[in-house]
Amino acid sequence: MDSVVSSRKAGARDRTARPLSSRRESARRVVQDVVRDRFLYLLALPGLLYFLIFCYGPMWGLLISFKEFNMYKGFNASPWVGLGQFVTLFRSTDFGAKFLNTLIISSLKILFGFPAPIILAILINEIRVRWFKKLTQTVLYLPYFVSWVVLSGILTVFLNPSDGVINFAIKAFGGAPVDFLHEPAWFRQVIVASDVYKNVGWGTVVYLASMSGIDPDLYEASWMDGANKWKQIVHITLPSIKGVIVILFILNLGNILNAGFEQIFLLYSPNVYPVADIIDTYVYRKGIMNASYSLGTAAGLFKSLIALVMILLTNAAAKRIGEEGVW
Amino acid sequence: MVRAGKRRPGCRTTAGERVFYAANTMLMVLLMVAMLYPFWHIVMYSLSDPALSATGGAFLVPRGFTLDSYKFVFSYNSVGNGFKVSLFVTIVGTALSVFCTAALAYSLSKRKLRGRNFLTMLIFFTMIFSGGMVPSFILVRQLKLFNTVWALILPGLMNAWNFFIARNFFASLPESLEESAKIDGATDLAVFFKIALPLSKAMLSVIGLFVAVGYWNDYFSTVLYIVDFDKWSLQATLRQLIGNTLQAMQQAGINYVNLEGVTSQSVIMTTIVVVTVPIIVVYPFLQKYFVKGVMVGSLKG
Repeated sequence: MDSVVSSRKAGARDRTARPLSSRRESARRVVQDVVRDRFLYLLALPGLLYFLIFCYGPMWGLLISFKEFNMYKGFNASPWVGLGQFVTLFRSTDFGAKFLNTLIISSLKILFGFPAPIILAILINEIRVRWFKKLTQTVLYLPYFVSWVVLSGILTVFLNPSDGVINFAIKAFGGAPVDFLHEPAWFRQVIVASDVYKNVGWGTVVYLASMSGIDPDLYEASWMDGANKWKQIVHITLPSIKGVIVILFILNLGNILNAGFEQIFLLYSPNVYPVADIIDTYVYRKGIMNASYSLGTAAGLFKSLIALVMILLTNAAAKRIGEEGVW
Repeated sequence: MVRAGKRRPGCRTTAGERVFYAANTMLMVLLMVAMLYPFWHIVMYSLSDPALSATGGAFLVPRGFTLDSYKFVFSYNSVGNGFKVSLFVTIVGTALSVFCTAALAYSLSKRKLRGRNFLTMLIFFTMIFSGGMVPSFILVRQLKLFNTVWALILPGLMNAWNFFIARNFFASLPESLEESAKIDGATDLAVFFKIALPLSKAMLSVIGLFVAVGYWNDYFSTVLYIVDFDKWSLQATLRQLIGNTLQAMQQAGINYVNLEGVTSQSVIMTTIVVVTVPIIVVYPFLQKYFVKGVMVGSLKG
């Protein structure tokens, strides 16, 4: 890699130093290279088209947040309104509440969902019987691969106030049944708990993989020196996965405005909107259901921009404290 | 893999450690039961006689074994149709996705390729910024994909994450293989199809399995892009059943009242089982490759 880079740099310097004839020479070389690699470009073409159309197309479409977009008039005939959509968005009393809901639900998910796989991975890592360890992993990963539709169905069945298992147990102990999914005081707890249930097992994979790289001699030596399990975990296991923890924390913070659209969309109802409605569900209802395309796009753009800033900031912060960062 | 807890012969465990291991094992067993019970409950309920299960409570075994709910679900057109749509989307989508990802990744793994860094940055940027739901929706409408099965396949065809997994893998293949093939007069296309692809079967199956699970579990694309019932994915069909069994049944022209041996609850449970079984079937394969998949997924390099 180094040699390739430096020779290219040398070439670049030449280009500025020498006049026309050699510039024509390097242009000729580019054409030559492209012709030589024509099949490689051909292979790249379908994938590049995908990214251009389906990823960059919508980014270009973000421009409609500065318009009053009308599907039947089309993009060009729809009038520009400047920041009008954003003014409407921020003036509406709802949006602040949706924003806050998003942050609260996300933060709760990080608060409970981030440490849980670390603790679980440490415990799984301490299982000594091989087959039991494999079995544990297999079982704990399973919910991750099940769709939110299925899990929301299971939740609906289990939390049903009349004959669900949970309320059956509450009634058996003499309590009053609770309609968890329609009760604002309970909805967020259900969201966070079911999110942890689905993701905690799978979340251990990265940590377990990085723990498998720890030299067993470290444990051996510390054991000789009289370190107990707790000390081994604090002084050997945790420090060796610190880098991974930091990277995943950055990714989590960068995702703080993704509070789990599909999960909430499947489980919420007008009853719990005050505590459950997040930016994404708001974008869907406004932007798609009510066909306020421009307003919905403005809300989405606001969210994407904040997410971008969050990712850049957290990554920079990680580098400052001496970790590697995501890139 | 080296296990942290493994001891060399001759090292004895202390009493405190034995307590720790026992407690840890107990905790894991409890966790496993908690993770599995919901699924067990659903399966047992679906096999039970609805008249007996209406009282609620926990299910350890079916109450009065019957397959009526399964007969009903399979005779219910929407479920069969949803199954077909989801199967088509999963198979075609996965094949396309894996091929496009592999081809793009192979191409951009070549250091000599002009424009490689720029194109890679272009793909990387999609990881940290996106146009969002409404612009995607409008794009799909303008591409005339709206209300076609391709709207379930194309918008989510590729992602940057899988691209980087594949690119890093191809970059790690020894260059000598390519060089010797080139000396024999092979083109880049031949090298890709005859050398690179066969060598990356394991990596491609990891990506393929994850993509397939994603397509199978995809629900929101149907909500966003599909109107006609005959193009609904299975997840969307299930969702409708959960939301309103009675209405869904009537929509499909099934007279609910005349049916014996099923209730809305038992139909929901059975459909959940039908939707989940394919995942359980591919799960062992997923298991086999998953750590590898996560490990080669490192963005660096």
